[in-house]
Amino acid sequence: MRGLFSKKSTILSFLLPALAIYTAVVFFPIIWSAYQSFFDWNGFSVKKFNGFDNFIRLFTADRNFWPILIQTFVYTILQIVFQVGGGLILAILLSGLSFGRSIFQAVFYIPVIISSAAICQIFTKLLSVSPVGIVNTILGLINPEWEMISWLTIPKLSLVMCALVEGYKSMGTYMVIFYAALIAVPDDLIEAATIDGANAFRCLVSVKLPYIRHIIIANVVLVLNNSFRSFDIPYLLTAGGPGTSSELLASFMYKRSFSSMQYGYGSAIATVIVLICFILAIFCMRVFRPEEG
Amino acid sequence: MVNHGHSAILKAVKWFIVLLLALLAIYPLIYTFISAFRTLEEFQTLPPYALPRSLYLGNYIEVITKSSIPLYFLNSMIITFFVDIFVLVFSTTASFAIAKMKFRYNNIVLTYFLLGLMIPLQCCLLPLYLVFSDMHLTNTYLGVIIPQTAFGLPLSIYLCVNFFRFLPNDILEAAIIDGCSPWRIFLRIVIPMSRNIILTLALLRTVFCWNDFIFSYTFLSSKRLQTITLGIQDFVGAYGYTDWGRTFATVSLTVVPILIVYFFLGKYMVSGLAEGSVKG
Repeated sequence: MRGLFSKKSTILSFLLPALAIYTAVVFFPIIWSAYQSFFDWNGFSVKKFNGFDNFIRLFTADRNFWPILIQTFVYTILQIVFQVGGGLILAILLSGLSFGRSIFQAVFYIPVIISSAAICQIFTKLLSVSPVGIVNTILGLINPEWEMISWLTIPKLSLVMCALVEGYKSMGTYMVIFYAALIAVPDDLIEAATIDGANAFRCLVSVKLPYIRHIIIANVVLVLNNSFRSFDIPYLLTAGGPGTSSELLASFMYKRSFSSMQYGYGSAIATVIVLICFILAIFCMRVFRPEEG
Repeated sequence: MVNHGHSAILKAVKWFIVLLLALLAIYPLIYTFISAFRTLEEFQTLPPYALPRSLYLGNYIEVITKSSIPLYFLNSMIITFFVDIFVLVFSTTASFAIAKMKFRYNNIVLTYFLLGLMIPLQCCLLPLYLVFSDMHLTNTYLGVIIPQTAFGLPLSIYLCVNFFRFLPNDILEAAIIDGCSPWRIFLRIVIPMSRNIILTLALLRTVFCWNDFIFSYTFLSSKRLQTITLGIQDFVGAYGYTDWGRTFATVSLTVVPILIVYFFLGKYMVSGLAEGSVKG
């Protein structure tokens, strides 16, 4: 038996409210953006159709676009390292504890529930140089030169710092998922490996991690998709700066659309982001589906 | 296993690492709570790790009596409350239809909702902003509640459908035979059986909504309507000078409600999310 109710009006009465608001607010704007991206328009001027000009300008004339695209990719890769890698390590540590697992899990999860706005303010202070913040004070004890590193205003460091803060905030989510997966590894598999003489480390590498590899892949996909649209932390922590050194596609688009009121151009960037997200999603499904069977 | 001394050292190292990481995870928060008690002078003179000399309450008093933070607090609560209600109503009804009703497009509808998990929400902001300004919805509670609800639906529906699929059909069938209408079955049987998932969805949404930055930032420019996440920046001056005492008092005030909820009900939040992700 596939379904309990089949009357159309009943089904619609349950489905329609969610479908309507979701379509209007989430889906319609995407299509609207794609359409607007073919116009030259700033909100006041007369809308002028200009074909692919916005895209051509974005890809060829805008000196910011390619570096920001590359930064977004770098940021995404750093997120995979910090969030999936960090989450996995936390989960492994957690599952190896003999007691207090739930307490430590709760503690590791706390950064996830704090708002990015709060986290950015806190880290601005922790990483500050004048007055010397706590991070630099501690580093200064090791090497006095490190005391004056201004983490957030050095172009080479700003992107990595944003990625670190975002990783700090989001790692807990993936820890929880990995932990749930790790403790679900059947005991007899581990017992069998132990009888065969595997130590704890060997057990982890040869039994547990292969057993949860789908979860690892799924989490990589999740992080990939989430960080490609990261916005809050770079926007609030460094405002994309100094210069555009920690700018990501999403914040770039936001500034073009809202601060400089280039509605048509902003829409073109939005369309490119959506397309990249969908291509990534399709790519991930293609690559990972055969393994899952 | 073989060498006891060896494994004891290993165990000590493991505990040391775990404790160190736990400290790192909550230190920023501890730092915030401590710093909220510092006076302006102590921010300049004391080293960053030092405890304040006294339990100075001036920052809290200033924030609560002289700033707009209490108003922002109220705004955040109103918005979060309504988003929770709307998301719960819309996602449970739609999920019930997707999981238990008979029509040709169950999976297509589900996939359509799940696509929303991949859509970068920032890309929707400009069109929404323009439409909302035309409809005079910017600078209203509704202007934030509507997009928050819509963007909350994909994850909620995903988790809820997974939960409803496991509801036993025979109970529902028995109710149909007894002549219950679908809505009555939904309200009287399904909802009471779904306490856990409802709690999970409500908690997740509360946290997301309370912490939201971009929707409030985009759609609420009026100081009267702003939310607590925007208020955190109220004490940042134009030239980078920040009143850290009041900022940290505000941050503490914004974090405490979420921490209390998390302390009592975190289990539902965490397990729901993990379960949903692992099963999916």
